[in-house]
Amino acid sequence: MKKFFLSCIAITATILFVSCSSDDNDIIAVDDDPTPVNAELKGQITEDFTLTNDVIWTLDGRVTVTNGATLTIDPGTIIKANPGQEADASVLIIARNAKIEANGTASEPIIFTSTADNIELGQTAGTNLTENDRGLWGGLIVLGNARASLSGDATENQIEGIPASDSNGLYGGTNNADDSGTLNYISIRHGGTLIGEGNEINGLTLGGVGSATTVTNIEVVGNVDDGIEWFGGSVNSSNLLVWSQGDDGLDIDEAYSGTISNAAVILGDISDHGMEIDGPAGSLEGRFTLDGISLFGNTITENGEYADLRDNAMGTLRNIYAEGFKESADVELDNNGVSQNFLDGKIVFQNWVLNGADNSVFVEKVGCLENCDDDNDDNDVLEELIISNPSFTERAANWTTTGSTGGANMSVFSWTFASSKGAL
Amino acid sequence: MKNTLLVVLLFLSQFAFSQTGTVTGTVNDGEYNDVLPFANIIVKGTQTGTTSDFEGKYTLELKPGTYTLAYSFVGYQSKEITDIIISENESTAIDVTLQASAGQLDEVIITTTARKNTEAAVLSLQKNSINLMDGLSLESIKKSGASSVASAVKNVPGVSIQGGKFVYVRGLGDRYTKSILNGVDVPGLDPDRNTLQLDIFPSQILENVLVIKSATADQPADFTGGVVDIVTKDIPSREEYSLSIGASYNSDFHFKDNYLVSDKSNTDFLGFDDGTRENPLSPLQEVPLPQQNGEVVEAITQRFNPILAAQREKSLMDFKLSATAGNQYEIGDNKLGFLASLSYKNETTYFDEYVDGQIYRKDETDKSNFELLADRTQNGEVGNNNVLISGLAGLSFKTERSKYRFNVLHIQNGESEASIFRQSNFIISSNQVKKDNLIYTERAITNGLLSGKHSLGSENDWTVEWKLSPTIARIDDKDFRVTPFRVTTNSQTGEETYTIEPSESGVPSRFYRNLEEINLAGKLDIVKTHSLFGYDAKVKFGGAYTYKQRDFEVIKFSIPFLNFPSASLGGDPNLLLADENVYDPATNSGFYIRQDSNDSDSYDSEVSVAAGYLSEEFKVTNWFNAILGVRFEKFDLIYTGENQNGTQLIDATVLDKSDFFPSANLIFDLNEDGDEKIRASYARTTARPSFKEASLAEIFDPISSTTFIGNINLQPSYINNFDLRFEKYGENSDFFALSGFYKSFNDPIELSFIRRAYGQYTPLNLGDANVFGGEIEVRKNLGFIDGLQDLSFNANFSLIESQQEYSDDEREGRLDNLREGETLDDTRQLQGQSPYLINVGLNYDNEDTGWQGGLFYNTQGKTLQIVGAGDVADVYTLPFHNVKLNISKTLGENKNSTISLQFENLLDDDVESVYQSFGAEDQIYSKWNPGQEISLSYSIRF
Repeated sequence: MKKFFLSCIAITATILFVSCSSDDNDIIAVDDDPTPVNAELKGQITEDFTLTNDVIWTLDGRVTVTNGATLTIDPGTIIKANPGQEADASVLIIARNAKIEANGTASEPIIFTSTADNIELGQTAGTNLTENDRGLWGGLIVLGNARASLSGDATENQIEGIPASDSNGLYGGTNNADDSGTLNYISIRHGGTLIGEGNEINGLTLGGVGSATTVTNIEVVGNVDDGIEWFGGSVNSSNLLVWSQGDDGLDIDEAYSGTISNAAVILGDISDHGMEIDGPAGSLEGRFTLDGISLFGNTITENGEYADLRDNAMGTLRNIYAEGFKESADVELDNNGVSQNFLDGKIVFQNWVLNGADNSVFVEKVGCLENCDDDNDDNDVLEELIISNPSFTERAANWTTTGSTGGANMSVFSWTFASSKGAL
Repeated sequence: MKNTLLVVLLFLSQFAFSQTGTVTGTVNDGEYNDVLPFANIIVKGTQTGTTSDFEGKYTLELKPGTYTLAYSFVGYQSKEITDIIISENESTAIDVTLQASAGQLDEVIITTTARKNTEAAVLSLQKNSINLMDGLSLESIKKSGASSVASAVKNVPGVSIQGGKFVYVRGLGDRYTKSILNGVDVPGLDPDRNTLQLDIFPSQILENVLVIKSATADQPADFTGGVVDIVTKDIPSREEYSLSIGASYNSDFHFKDNYLVSDKSNTDFLGFDDGTRENPLSPLQEVPLPQQNGEVVEAITQRFNPILAAQREKSLMDFKLSATAGNQYEIGDNKLGFLASLSYKNETTYFDEYVDGQIYRKDETDKSNFELLADRTQNGEVGNNNVLISGLAGLSFKTERSKYRFNVLHIQNGESEASIFRQSNFIISSNQVKKDNLIYTERAITNGLLSGKHSLGSENDWTVEWKLSPTIARIDDKDFRVTPFRVTTNSQTGEETYTIEPSESGVPSRFYRNLEEINLAGKLDIVKTHSLFGYDAKVKFGGAYTYKQRDFEVIKFSIPFLNFPSASLGGDPNLLLADENVYDPATNSGFYIRQDSNDSDSYDSEVSVAAGYLSEEFKVTNWFNAILGVRFEKFDLIYTGENQNGTQLIDATVLDKSDFFPSANLIFDLNEDGDEKIRASYARTTARPSFKEASLAEIFDPISSTTFIGNINLQPSYINNFDLRFEKYGENSDFFALSGFYKSFNDPIELSFIRRAYGQYTPLNLGDANVFGGEIEVRKNLGFIDGLQDLSFNANFSLIESQQEYSDDEREGRLDNLREGETLDDTRQLQGQSPYLINVGLNYDNEDTGWQGGLFYNTQGKTLQIVGAGDVADVYTLPFHNVKLNISKTLGENKNSTISLQFENLLDDDVESVYQSFGAEDQIYSKWNPGQEISLSYSIRF
């Protein structure tokens, strides 16, 4: 009988130890020919180096130019990045004090794309990928020593997605005239891989980049997150085109104080805002200027909006043209803080031409003060509107006209992938 | 079920053949922390008697009746215990402590009744201990109604439990408090903790739980707050079987139609997954992108379980079962005993309003704005089912001068959780998110123990004890699934649209985490009694070796999509991987599986600790007892892993430390009976970095959205501990103790935030810290008031102050975010350290009627739960006022069955943590109501 009792225990114990192993996880063969690797970029580039246009370069993982080195990229160079997410994401980082001299031409642009792209040497576009192929690799990150308005008035910060253990991810400083080199005729395609929850790499990230840097003739296509994002810094940027991004087209943060001129954003099927503009995170104030911007919306995307001004944003938005947005799309002042900046003259709107819409797209929003934590929206206590007599929408009539021309000079984008695919 | 019934019937049928009962127990040495071997035990007025064995144990077989036993030993006062009632087939336990009769010529006989003696025995171990120790006997655990070690150990002064699992002694958490099993190291069951979670040890397997608060040379050096030693059941002295069943009902949790569950496997009720949640891909499987090989991507995606949504069904109530069996056989002069225990517990919780992980920030642009600003609010529903099975089997073999023991313990735990949360973001992002989370964690720990104890030498003056204990522990997080939808509300119609937007609300993901840890522990203790200063003294020496090896691996996948209108899913997570929505290369659209793992998540580490010690326990005078000792430990940590930069370490020795740890314990008897004592002690101890901390690991936690960054340069910290305690032992188990302690920490390790990288944390050696405090404990029988002899009162209260210096980043972050008029203190309290702890209990116990009852109150002061990061305020856990009531009645002629009723959380208090900031209204970090629970259980012994 005792044996019986013991065997009961033994049997149960045995059941506990034996876990059924599934044997249906056979390997599915992936028999593609891997892209022939001509020249691979990996790890850190600590000495001056040139990428020539006679081979296709492969970007493998996190490649960082450090130690004050200059990475020169010849016109017509194609760089294909390996797939990989998070820490394995392929990104090219130009650390503080290092430089990139990427001087393409309209006929020989420098192209960053995925190894999944069938583009070949001498071509400017492959045939197998579209603007909706996103997140196939990371992106291009340039970091400098110019000022950024950071939380707690820190002078430097870690760029999102790079763990703090890698100090090459730091940006920011006190030299607004800092020089990170030249970006000219660059096309960045199919990037924006995941680097953390809700945290993808932008097509082009400019963190604390100073005014001696040249950023002009840039195209970003099919990026998961924002097209181009400025974290502070003072670099002027011109002739920018963002097409079919997953989030916002142009994104400004941390008191970026340069001028963005002649830029266009063409929303895709899942794009969010044309422009998303945040203010300083610390006490340092800096105002951007957006001058000559064209925004092209569509009615497919769920959240396609013109622009969102949030979180203490401050700057000037002039000579803006927009067309094709949904009826519900708006230009919003997010809460009382932003509205107060508008009243104080820290946010200025000038000469907006809207095609198919009028000043009613300009909306003042309010933040939630109390009972925001529960599911019930009815008991929320909200801020009061503070722009009144006339209201923000009414005042917008002063700078809004209806028409079909204005904004960016689109002819400068004829070199782009977007142009070749008929998106302009 | 049928089998269980059969077992019960067989037990019953076997009843009723023997005509005797037994009395068993241990004879303790009142002079030293030891047992008294070879003492004489005689039934008064007869020739019947026996002697205690080398472990001080004795057994006498007697016919039913009432007896007086006399205990004696040369040089000791004799003791007579009256009114010992022997019942048929019953075992009566009588432990006695004999005091030395130093200098007295006349024979002294102390007489006491059996009942008073039994109660006093609980304190005996504590009284004679050379360490500062608090013991919880199985009896007192049963009285408090605690079902696991975690809930029982709370009743010890200065002990608190965090998250229902992890023990804090004197406000010091897992880094400073060590949990061991039968005196040896076992692996922890949490990848983020050093310590063992105590809620998985059911009280059925316990002999007792010891909390040791001051170090001696024979204890490991890596504890500071305390050591919690979980001692599993010893072999019973006679044939004994028991069965118990119980059920609990919580009106908030049980029989609710909207309870949340994830998909189940057929063996979930046994505490493990049958393979349903296994990763369907081979570790060698290459996962291409759809742009590279659409057909393979489609086939891979189809392999994954498409269930991603939390489903609703009716919840069941909690129930538990346990059985034990044990016996001892005479084999010639030797004894062979066995013990087997099996227990099963199935618990279900459901919270329909669970607020967690909210984020509030200080206004960075306006320092005169004191109020905190909501950045993220998050609340939802959580359903959780927890199955715990434990099995313990042991054999012991005892000869005249040796005892061997072999134990195997297996604990199997499966926890399944499903939740739906709504999140609103205001500052860093601005959106609304709905998340379905499915979680399954399987934990298993198997521990073996082979030990021996030998009495050697012609005068039995040598005792040798050895232990060998291998343990293997596994934790598998299987197929955690998170599906976030962004929710957009149309301001005109109020209609909600659900979309999947990776850049706004995160990408749907699923991941697998495996942790496997192997521990090998060995220990040898040798004691030699000798004479010093004219008194008996003991020299104790020995060694120990512990080897631990841990593998940690994370496999992550995300579920992005191509050319697909995600709003058409209507917010149903189960549609993402529905057949028609899986990526189709022909249309180049749909959802697909993408591999997101990276090497910096995984690591493989080894630790070894080799120790040797020497100590001397002696008396200087009649009233002054001392134990002085020194321990040597050599600690090595070997790490294999890499960071995201590609820096790799293979079998690198990260730490190699050899240290001496001196300790001194002094005991002053204030009177001859030894019932008033002053204890003073000093010890040097250490706290070492965990596997994960001293590494290159860079681990993103999708649940808290934070990144952990290992610190390969981390050093152990060293602590000087000072203790002073006054104790008074009285009649009827009355007890009073007043203690004070001071601990100074050299370079303590704490997880610190990195100011320049939001949401990233790394362990650092911070500036020095101090902890000091006092404890008061009172146990008093209320018999001094007429008619209240059956009532006793116990209370303990601890007051603890800790001072921790800031890291540079933390100080700057705090200074930058001071409000107008706010100043920054030089130090703050330690994370997880409660400023006070209160336990109060009233017990009723009437042996004649069999009624027992207890009313208990327990709380702890406001505790720093999360150290604020710059503009995010500190989070404090608010006191939870727990009042519980137990009532039980012993039934049957032989008092062999008990029925008990228990009520939890009589005050219906909430569990709540809040953000607190200078001049600001508190804002909720997390809040839920654990409900009120009523439990009924029945147990029977044969």
